[in-house]
Amino acid sequence: MTFLYFDPAMGAMIVQAIVAAIAGVLLFSKNLLLKVKVFLGIIKPKNEEGLFDDIEIENSEIEKKDSSDS
Amino acid sequence: MTHKKAHPASFRDPSGFMFAEEGVVKRQINPIYFKQYNALKDSGFFNTLFKSQVLIPHEELSNSSEQIVIQPDQIPFITYPYEWCFNQYKEAALLTLKLQKFSLENGFSLKDASAFNVTFHKGKAIFIDTLSFDFYLENSPWRAYKQFVSHFLGPLLMAHYHGAQSLKLMSNYIDGIPLKMIATMLPFKSKLNPFLYSNIHLLARFEDKYNEDYIGETQAKSLSKKAQLNIIQSLYDFIKKLTLKEYSEWGNYYNKTNYSDKAFNLKSDIINSWISNLNAKTLIDIGGNDGTFVRRISTKLDQALVCDIDNNAVDFNYKTIKENKERFILPFVIDVLNPSAAIGFNNKERDSFIERIVNFQPDVTLALAVIHHMSLSGNVSFDMSAQFFSKFSKNLIIEFPNREDSWVQRLLNNKADFKDYFGFYHIDNFEKAYLDYFEIIEKQPIENSERVMYFLKKKHD
Repeated sequence: MTFLYFDPAMGAMIVQAIVAAIAGVLLFSKNLLLKVKVFLGIIKPKNEEGLFDDIEIENSEIEKKDSSDS
Repeated sequence: MTHKKAHPASFRDPSGFMFAEEGVVKRQINPIYFKQYNALKDSGFFNTLFKSQVLIPHEELSNSSEQIVIQPDQIPFITYPYEWCFNQYKEAALLTLKLQKFSLENGFSLKDASAFNVTFHKGKAIFIDTLSFDFYLENSPWRAYKQFVSHFLGPLLMAHYHGAQSLKLMSNYIDGIPLKMIATMLPFKSKLNPFLYSNIHLLARFEDKYNEDYIGETQAKSLSKKAQLNIIQSLYDFIKKLTLKEYSEWGNYYNKTNYSDKAFNLKSDIINSWISNLNAKTLIDIGGNDGTFVRRISTKLDQALVCDIDNNAVDFNYKTIKENKERFILPFVIDVLNPSAAIGFNNKERDSFIERIVNFQPDVTLALAVIHHMSLSGNVSFDMSAQFFSKFSKNLIIEFPNREDSWVQRLLNNKADFKDYFGFYHIDNFEKAYLDYFEIIEKQPIENSERVMYFLKKKHD
């Protein structure tokens, strides 16, 4: 692998499996909690975008031709 | 074939390098990267990113068996990570994660996650390292993960716990803040948070542990794509929710100052008429706070750089830009008494603020309500500040608060015994010093205030 021009740190590669496992659990439980809350009517599915949009590229960044150029 | 001189920052990646030809920035791609480049091009990956405005678009200039030369859209003024406000930094982090996710979904992966791969252009963060994409190797962990943590997650966490000025650490830790440092600087309760524990503390421990592995025997574990995507998503969710807990003395600046509404509008009108007479297209507002005065300019500007020492003011400006979808304002954080230095190898990898602004040559410089801070808080003499402004200001609109002004009085009173040293602070001395470098085109006191507006033009010697 010749493109690696910095030290990737072995430790970082190995720990990713653990990080991913924890991330998986967090995402799962967050999702579950969200679904339960919506089901119970505690919160409604929000559409607000706030300052930052979601992680998807194709959906969130469609060029709007009318964007103001003031 | 002429030998191109690579930009001093562009030497680490064998895939290619940046160079400038007659002031135009271009990129040469080496054969070692041809396969990737062609795949990125032919699959439409580049095009999608161009259309979504997340990657700087480029045009292919030449294509031979020895090199491919591309020309990216030119960016008139680059800002570096240590000049970003908190939310800009967040946006840059989220952009990198978005790109990694999208790459993975399309068979690619980012080889690096440096904060310097991103800059701000036309009102948003944009990725500028076109050659950062490599083929994704099935089940390989993300090689840039640690770099992402030390360049993005770490600094953002430091800013959250210790204030936005922590972001300036990036100018010293040019390759990201060391993990151990981040880990020790987070409060103990961060170890109880599974996300923080795994991404910072555990990572720091593992890095430490495997540092001793000189032989390189340990095999990198494999990591499924889904697992990697989970890491990316959880990083995204966490960073998206990160905020600062700050109060700044500049927060409600315009409520606290000594302007009557009338004076405020007068000042704005004066600036407006001078700028429209100049037919200025580019501008820098030093100490421009949240961009209030720049927005009141009626002339259509191509680019307005608005810099201020206060992160909160720049953040507010940034939010306004997003809400209004403005593309011509570029906000960033700069302390005019200590602007960013040139750093990196040979001190040439990242240009100093002064080098960049001299290069940019704005049509007009605004220095509103900043001279008294330079002189009284910074002890900078009028001659020194005049010389500073003259380096990059063809035209300078500067506001001079008289001794009787309430902010000036406040600053002077803070000096207590040392107050007499500032006897020099007087409008006559100001004019005398500035006349060494500038001609006074016009001078206008602002009614109902103790401030005078000057329209200066740089002398040509």
